[in-house]
Amino acid sequence: MILSYLVRRLGQLALVLFIGSVAVWIMIYAVPGSPELAIAGPDATAEQLAAVRERLGLDRPLPVQYLSWVGGVLTGDLGSSLASGKAVTELLGQRIPATFQLIVFAVVIGLVIALPAGVFAAWRPRSLTARAAGIYQVVLLAFPSFWLGIILIWLFGLHFRVLPTMSNYVPFMADPVGAFRNTLLPALTLGLFMAAVLVRFVRSAVSEELAKPHIRAVRAKGASEGNILINHALRNAALPIVTIVGLQLGAFIGGAVVTESVFNYPGIGRLVFVAVSTRDYPVVQGVLMFVVFSFAVINMAVDVIYAALDPRIKVN
Amino acid sequence: MTAEAHAAPPELAPSKRRGAWRRLAETPIGLAGAIALLGLALMALLAPWIAPYDPLAQTSLSFEPISAKHILGSDELGRDIFSRILFGLRLSLLTAVSTSLLAAIAGIAIGLVAGYFGGWLDGLAMRLMDVILSVPAILLAIVLVAIMGGGLVPLIIAIAIVAVPTFARLTRASVLTIKEREFVAAQRAAGASMPDIVLRTILPNSLGPAVVQLVITASTAVLTESGLNFLGLGVAPPNASLGSMLAAGNENLFVSPIYPVIVGFAIAILVAAFDAFGVGLQRAYGTTVSRGGVLA
Repeated sequence: MILSYLVRRLGQLALVLFIGSVAVWIMIYAVPGSPELAIAGPDATAEQLAAVRERLGLDRPLPVQYLSWVGGVLTGDLGSSLASGKAVTELLGQRIPATFQLIVFAVVIGLVIALPAGVFAAWRPRSLTARAAGIYQVVLLAFPSFWLGIILIWLFGLHFRVLPTMSNYVPFMADPVGAFRNTLLPALTLGLFMAAVLVRFVRSAVSEELAKPHIRAVRAKGASEGNILINHALRNAALPIVTIVGLQLGAFIGGAVVTESVFNYPGIGRLVFVAVSTRDYPVVQGVLMFVVFSFAVINMAVDVIYAALDPRIKVN
Repeated sequence: MTAEAHAAPPELAPSKRRGAWRRLAETPIGLAGAIALLGLALMALLAPWIAPYDPLAQTSLSFEPISAKHILGSDELGRDIFSRILFGLRLSLLTAVSTSLLAAIAGIAIGLVAGYFGGWLDGLAMRLMDVILSVPAILLAIVLVAIMGGGLVPLIIAIAIVAVPTFARLTRASVLTIKEREFVAAQRAAGASMPDIVLRTILPNSLGPAVVQLVITASTAVLTESGLNFLGLGVAPPNASLGSMLAAGNENLFVSPIYPVIVGFAIAILVAAFDAFGVGLQRAYGTTVSRGGVLA
């Protein structure tokens, strides 16, 4: 049963990736004027335009162009940057570790805040902590997520002068202290935001579990409240929480553009933004395809894990 | 991350809908949101008359502190921050209202067609929505604005496109349950034409969740718009937008840390007003659509 679900889900994934690839590819034709004009600039001569057309293969029929592009994508060739001439895969290869490190830091911060706060708020819904968690979530989500970054830069970078105001990517393996110093502020920005999104889900998932009869049974057997919360309520509530964390994680791939810009952090979002500003279409297309692919795969993985782990979910 | 919507099966008979506004007035938070929104809308509409200064005029030295002359201080070019916030508010409200209406119209149409006809049309439409949702909203909006050449209209269209899938999914879910209901079958049996059934019976009964989503979309649109304007993709300078004011504040953080704080609060007040109004509407309609965060 789980296998047939997996197969159907893979079919859906293939369809999403196909439509996504067409949409990403066709983008270049939606540019006002023609793509070669956008790339070569308004002052380009007829010869220059023809050269661009030939270089990009724009003189071939549309389906042939699409097939050659998508063929490249399938074999790991995303084309090369118009600005630097480097392979898009190479540019991506430089940014993926930076984004990955930022995401790991952010998710850890988000969970460290949201898990205890959410569990406690579910356990004691009328407590001060529960109210504070509710206020935190509502207030934080009313501000632009990158705004927090500006405030953090002022506080830790300019006022206390303990952390750099601009964040470079320092690999954690090479220099843990440097990595920590450089990644902390952008990660805190994203982590505090993530905690605000997450705390509500943790709270509702755990309080749903706490209301179930098995919790009363465990309590009647004399289990400690900590044991009940962690081993019985939180563990059973883990699946929906994992789902949300998975989706958040997917959104962080390329979705933290403004935050990355505030800190000048060399992540994937920043790569797309700079490529967009310089009309570097192969980079935009290649990275978007990567983002669509990673998000769709994470999404599917979350669904399949969910179905595999929880026999109560009817996969049909 | 865009609004995460969880479609609740709509149970809205037309008679119940009429009471929704009255019930909204009975929820204090919804009422507070409505009043705040009304006030903000008035401030935005009357901006040219109530702003103490021309938002583009250099009226004093740069970064003058808060004083009777400039109640929120002056910016990097010596322009009055309060006047610029009023005009920025105007832009944000315009964006919020037009994007949510555009997204609602497109999304409801797609959801209606997909839900009513089903089959391959439904599959294709929903996978297309999946594709839109599989790119982070802000990233997709950036690319779309850039493709369209930048400026206010592309900005509005881009944010609207990003918001379409939620409306389409919600409407589709409503249509799927409503088209099986007895009163639709009765209409069909009475010989009503297909467009009549879709537009006069199914559509009005599927709108409940979409109305709530309209307000949620407005609040996410304000946040997305501020991100795009922060990156310089929206209205061109010297025109005021809350996002570009945040960018200026960020660049001059060392000189005037209070500037981005003030602008941030202006955005948050507008967003919170939409959110409160949305919560009130949810209670009034008995739906459970909630806003996720807007990652930017």
